[in-house]
Amino acid sequence: MRIGIAALLLVMFVSACQSAGQQNRYEVIYAMDKNEAVASPGQSAHEEEPRKFKIGVVPKLVEIPYFNLVEEGAREAAAQLGAELVYRGPPIADTVQQIRIIEELMVEGVDALAVSANDPEKLLPALMKARQQGIQVITWDSDTYREGRDFFVNMVDDEKLGRHLMDTLAWNTGEKGEFAILTGQQKAATLNEWIKWMKVQQETYYPDMKLVEIAATDDDPQKAYETAKRMLAKYPNLAGLIGNSSVGPPAAAQAVKEAGLTGKVKVVGLSLPNLMAPYLTDGSAQVATLWSPKKLGYLTVVLAVRALAGQPPEDGVMLPNVGIIRVNGDVVVMGDPVDFTKENVNQYDF
Amino acid sequence: MISNLRGKLAFTRFRLSTKLMVTYILLTVIPMSLLGYISYRQYTKSIEEQIGEYMPRFLVQADANIEKHMEELSVLPEMLFNSESMVAILRRDAYQSRADLNRDQFEMNSFLNRTYLNGASPDVIGVFLLSKNRVFESTRLSYSGIDWSRAFTDYGQDLELRGSVKVMLPRDVGLRFVDNIPYVLIMKPIEDVDNRRKLGTMFIAVRLNFIRNVLQDLENSDQADMWLMTREGQIIYHTDPELTGTFDPNIDQYPLLSGSFRKESGDGARLVSMHESKELDWVLVHSVPLEALTARTDFVRKVTVLVFIGLVLVSIFMYALFSIRVTNPLKRLNQLMKHVEMGKFNVDLKVQSKDEIGTLAASFNSMVATIRELIQQNYHIEIRQKEAELYALQSQINPHFMYNTLETISMAVEEDEKETVVEMVSLLGRMLRFSVSNKSKFVTITQEVQHVRDYLTIQKFRFEDRLSFDIAESVPSQAGEALYTPNFVLQPIVENAIKYGLEARKGVDIRITVSEEFSARSGKQDLVFRIRDNGPGITAGRLAQLEQAIREDAWSGKDSGFGLSNVNARIVLLHGQDYGVQLHSIEGIGTEVAVRIPVIRAAEVERIEREAKHRATDTNLDRG
Repeated sequence: MRIGIAALLLVMFVSACQSAGQQNRYEVIYAMDKNEAVASPGQSAHEEEPRKFKIGVVPKLVEIPYFNLVEEGAREAAAQLGAELVYRGPPIADTVQQIRIIEELMVEGVDALAVSANDPEKLLPALMKARQQGIQVITWDSDTYREGRDFFVNMVDDEKLGRHLMDTLAWNTGEKGEFAILTGQQKAATLNEWIKWMKVQQETYYPDMKLVEIAATDDDPQKAYETAKRMLAKYPNLAGLIGNSSVGPPAAAQAVKEAGLTGKVKVVGLSLPNLMAPYLTDGSAQVATLWSPKKLGYLTVVLAVRALAGQPPEDGVMLPNVGIIRVNGDVVVMGDPVDFTKENVNQYDF
Repeated sequence: MISNLRGKLAFTRFRLSTKLMVTYILLTVIPMSLLGYISYRQYTKSIEEQIGEYMPRFLVQADANIEKHMEELSVLPEMLFNSESMVAILRRDAYQSRADLNRDQFEMNSFLNRTYLNGASPDVIGVFLLSKNRVFESTRLSYSGIDWSRAFTDYGQDLELRGSVKVMLPRDVGLRFVDNIPYVLIMKPIEDVDNRRKLGTMFIAVRLNFIRNVLQDLENSDQADMWLMTREGQIIYHTDPELTGTFDPNIDQYPLLSGSFRKESGDGARLVSMHESKELDWVLVHSVPLEALTARTDFVRKVTVLVFIGLVLVSIFMYALFSIRVTNPLKRLNQLMKHVEMGKFNVDLKVQSKDEIGTLAASFNSMVATIRELIQQNYHIEIRQKEAELYALQSQINPHFMYNTLETISMAVEEDEKETVVEMVSLLGRMLRFSVSNKSKFVTITQEVQHVRDYLTIQKFRFEDRLSFDIAESVPSQAGEALYTPNFVLQPIVENAIKYGLEARKGVDIRITVSEEFSARSGKQDLVFRIRDNGPGITAGRLAQLEQAIREDAWSGKDSGFGLSNVNARIVLLHGQDYGVQLHSIEGIGTEVAVRIPVIRAAEVERIEREAKHRATDTNLDRG
């Protein structure tokens, strides 16, 4: 009897260590990040009500090709991200009208405002008011003062662009001669920044060149054309013209062409390839420099949505359909400028 | 409950050795085995838990490595934008001549070759670029199974990938490299970010070596299986090359995809750890047989179990031995007790050991011996007492005395001494009545003295002047209460005195006193009868002999000392060694016999009588 008990115990002890296996039984030992594991099958739980952000994008003005392209890009991004886009700007580059539009958009209840500022100073109160209402304010294309916005989406690095524009003219004029600049708005902060760097580059490397005048075109093609014509008449020794905003170079090229100065007065500057293609091809303009306005519009909206979703722009982030962005303080730099010449201008459809 | 009680009762009925064994097993074997079992279980469980907790973390690390690799690989297409001319080729829509197309194709292919196959990563085995009905490709290995021109419809420009990377598996594509090398295809649309257009789609075939490296870093045991699969169960890479590309049939059964669990199937339990990569939708699995984890423990376990069994057997053996050693003497004791019960006292429990059992055996032996002695002693005392009493009864009026008395009476009748006859007859009658009527062992001192006086008076009639006697009349009494003495203590002494005195001399004088004296031996007041005669006395040698005889054995023979020793024996039997008969004699002058008894009152007489009666009934019952 006692042997029986002992044997039983031993058998129990020995055999219990190897409990008989059955067909695929599972016993969880450790579950990692339970919340995550639970959330993963139906991730929609987190975004049950996909909030549709309303984003107001305000260009300097509307109905010029550059800002039309920006709108295209912005619409593409809004469609992809499921955001509501209000793209509204003044018919002419007018600060008062821009302020009015901003106030309209505030009343309409936008979540984010992306503004290309005509005048950094005058826009400031309106933008600050918007920020006080909890609206995410960003600037693009043309900056305002820092307190007026959360961050600025810059197309290119100001210094790099300013110096590069100066370089493109210098290559074509043989680093000498008089030149003039056709800028957009007198007070546009970004344009003035570029001009500053153009001057720095000229003073540093091109002592034989001389800046004779800076004239504002207010992004009006007609005004730009007339200014260019006036300059050609005023400065007979003019070797080159730099257009600082997209309407400048085509107007200048047109004026040069009409004055029969093709090849004699070089035209470079910021403009769209499509606008510049005829002039580049016939030699009345040498180099156009720009970025993709579509990409700028796209990036602006993407960054606005991301910021609303709690992801402020970060340096080195790879954004789909854009690439890697750089962030310097509160300034986002989209990329490097692209030069359009008669060789490659046909590759671009804007 | 009832069965429990029954079990309890059953337990109480077990033999002691069984109880000892059961107790031993309950106290030792069961706790030890339970302890061993529990600690082993806990230990293996804690190993399991530890590994189950750490392995998923390692997998996270491995996953992160793989993801990092994949990320690195997924940015490879971006390298295309490093070359303006390549972007220009992709932007080209139409060709004027076949030669232009071929030139672009040549340039692009050599660019791909340069950039991806010779540069970027050794794991890239092929690059395919589909753009506007053109196929650019560059591969390290020959391949088959795919028609790229048809792939346009499947993966062409219209695919809504929106710039994100997609990983495609061989099964999805049908592309096979020589030797069936495991690979994945990274598909990425090429976007013209400036024109906001799609330029084409790039496919990069990547060998899975890096996964193997990552997994090897994690675990290089042969017993562990690791694999990477999609959430649908398609195995992308398996440490067993045969299984790469197959489906995991259990994918739907896994209780979780991030964490670890024990899987028990026909071929043993395995610890499976998993981690699900959120970014890639992949699941990295590590599966190891539990035996491999606990291999070392299992060896220890086997050794422990063997040692344990050995210990249990040895200790059971020892314990059995021990319990036999304890219970055997008890069994024998039991048997011997039965013998003793039957009245057989000639038993000896032989136990050698000096422990409690030995002591018990020794005690038992000495107890039996003592009982034996006591019984013997009691038996003898009883016999002696009876004998003494019988003798006393016999000799109170012995035939010889009767004959002599009757002869004396007859002579007196002849001489016509009427008064003498009357007195003698009445004395004799009183003596006879005393003997007959008195059944008690005790009489009052007065009666005893009266009786010896009667006896002496009768003898006086016979021996006339040759005998003279004097009996001190003062009989001590206490507070008017009569004192008792064992009966028939004086007459035998007086008989002796007359016999020896008249043998040696013409006349004898006998004096009897009764007094109360303090005794040094008993430490109390005793009663002492002194019978003094002026007979021949006893020689010193004879006196010693007699005293010895009196003390030692009262019934060795009915010789001269018999009367004395009988008296002595009866007194000693009743009252102990402190009392009895003492002889003092000077040869030629006389002898004094002192009979020492305790002060006995009526109450004590009653008590002694009662005890005697009890003893008699007890003995009768015992004998019965």
